Amino acid sequence: MNTAKINERGPLDDRAVIGFYHVELAYQDQTALKDVSFTVANGEFLCLTGPSGAGKSSVLRLIAMDAFATRGQVIVRGMLSTKMSRRKIPQLRREIGFVFQDFRLLDDRSVEDNVTFAQLVVGVKNSEIKRNVMRVLTQVGLWDKRHRLPRQLSGGEQQRVAIARAMVNSPKILLADEPTGNLDPVTAQEIVDLLFRINDGGTCVLFSTHDHEIVKTFGERVIVIRDGRIESDIERRNVVDRSARLTDKMYRAEAGTKNDKTLSKKELWHA
Amino acid sequence: MLRGTQVAYLVRESFAGFKRRKLTTGVTILIMGSALMVLAVLTLATLNLGNVLETARASIDLRVFLQDDLDPSQQAALQPRLLEIPGVERVSYISADMALQEFRAVLGEDAEILDLLDSNPLPASFHLALEDGARNLDSVRAIRTEVGVWPEVAEIIFNQGWVDALERWTVRFQVASLVVGLIVFFAAVFVISNTVKLTIAASARVIQVQKLVGATNSFIRIPFLCEGMIQGFLAGVLAMGLVAAAGKILGPRMTGVVFFSPLQIGGFVLFCVVLGMTGSWTAMRKYLTLRSEM
Repeated sequence: MNTAKINERGPLDDRAVIGFYHVELAYQDQTALKDVSFTVANGEFLCLTGPSGAGKSSVLRLIAMDAFATRGQVIVRGMLSTKMSRRKIPQLRREIGFVFQDFRLLDDRSVEDNVTFAQLVVGVKNSEIKRNVMRVLTQVGLWDKRHRLPRQLSGGEQQRVAIARAMVNSPKILLADEPTGNLDPVTAQEIVDLLFRINDGGTCVLFSTHDHEIVKTFGERVIVIRDGRIESDIERRNVVDRSARLTDKMYRAEAGTKNDKTLSKKELWHA
Repeated sequence: MLRGTQVAYLVRESFAGFKRRKLTTGVTILIMGSALMVLAVLTLATLNLGNVLETARASIDLRVFLQDDLDPSQQAALQPRLLEIPGVERVSYISADMALQEFRAVLGEDAEILDLLDSNPLPASFHLALEDGARNLDSVRAIRTEVGVWPEVAEIIFNQGWVDALERWTVRFQVASLVVGLIVFFAAVFVISNTVKLTIAASARVIQVQKLVGATNSFIRIPFLCEGMIQGFLAGVLAMGLVAAAGKILGPRMTGVVFFSPLQIGGFVLFCVVLGMTGSWTAMRKYLTLRSEM
């Protein structure tokens, strides 16, 4: 399928880092996604929500090219999945960070080694590895606990290690698949705040969750998926003040507050 | 192109598998080493049988018995004619008297029985030694056909029976060795492939994370291939060690048995390394193709 046809099929956004155009994904006799179209702009924070089994993870799998659309096109960072050779997938993955509900840390390695591992695999220089690992572990507040094993950390801390690992290669996109699923509400909010901070740094974040309480607090774009179809795609700007929430982790932020942080996000969207 | 940090990581990971799974790896090397020992013994037997066959071929000769009524000049005229035949290297004359002496020596204490005879019943003969290239059944048969029609010749005999049998059994043994060798080969690949599968299962999370952060399949594969190769190498050394030990113990009772040359030992161990790598490759190929990372 050439670019002209893609343009005919759906709006091609020149700011898009991710584009889904009439995508269908079928697993044997079961259709996971039906006619899904949306684009995600560079630096955007997108929340994907819907009940379990609605197709949220399938969307993320398609972006990671862990699955391939049975119909339609998926374009990630300018690369069309159906035309992409399997050899090129690792290159793409280096531009994407992954965070999962179950953390997926290496249990027999320390916090530092877990993060270093991601750099070793892609062949970063030794001197840079040390600097990068220190940077991300400081950002997630775990530099002091770098010698601990994952089992010596709380759930929230383990998720922060996973986020540090996802961010150490400076990805352009961060895919977070139910990252708060195993966490209590307070810790969950801390993780969401951390993802906001990452997004403020310019990384596009796709946050998948079925938790309504978390979704309610978002002042961002929310796509609701149900039975493999997009039910709604709403930009809810300024519903919640992101900065206020960052300072008040117990959900005391007032809805409707407009501030500079939100504006800078808006500026980023239109950049 | 791999960076220094990646090479260091891969080397570390290749040996880390041994440390993490000492028992599994040890058992694998033991099983594989035993299977390869069978292969080594078969190979050694085939090599030795080949040597025996070569020696037997080297001893192929012909005995041309002459008619009784030939006078000495007729007998002497045959020698140059026999020497002209292609493939014949040397022709020695054995007179009837010399043949009787030989026979007497063979009979030993029972030689007295020959004294009862009125005359020497043994004919004069020529012993034909053959050139290297002619020491095979086809050449011998051709010479026999040619000389057999000469009126001066009564009979031609050669040690055909046992050479024939030896050649036949050698071929059978080689076929059997090949079949058993193939079975051992696939068994060894299966054993090592399963061990690597266990290793892969134990390293599933590591592989998953590697794929998620953008490691290529070949990068992921390298430590497992190295592990398979090291296992193959150790199993090969073990097999050779066991065969050598058995040779030491049985040595005095197995005179004439030739052991592998250093080059052959090197070749066998290299073969085992390839075997280990094949086993790992088989296990990895399926895993890396089918597995989803998310």
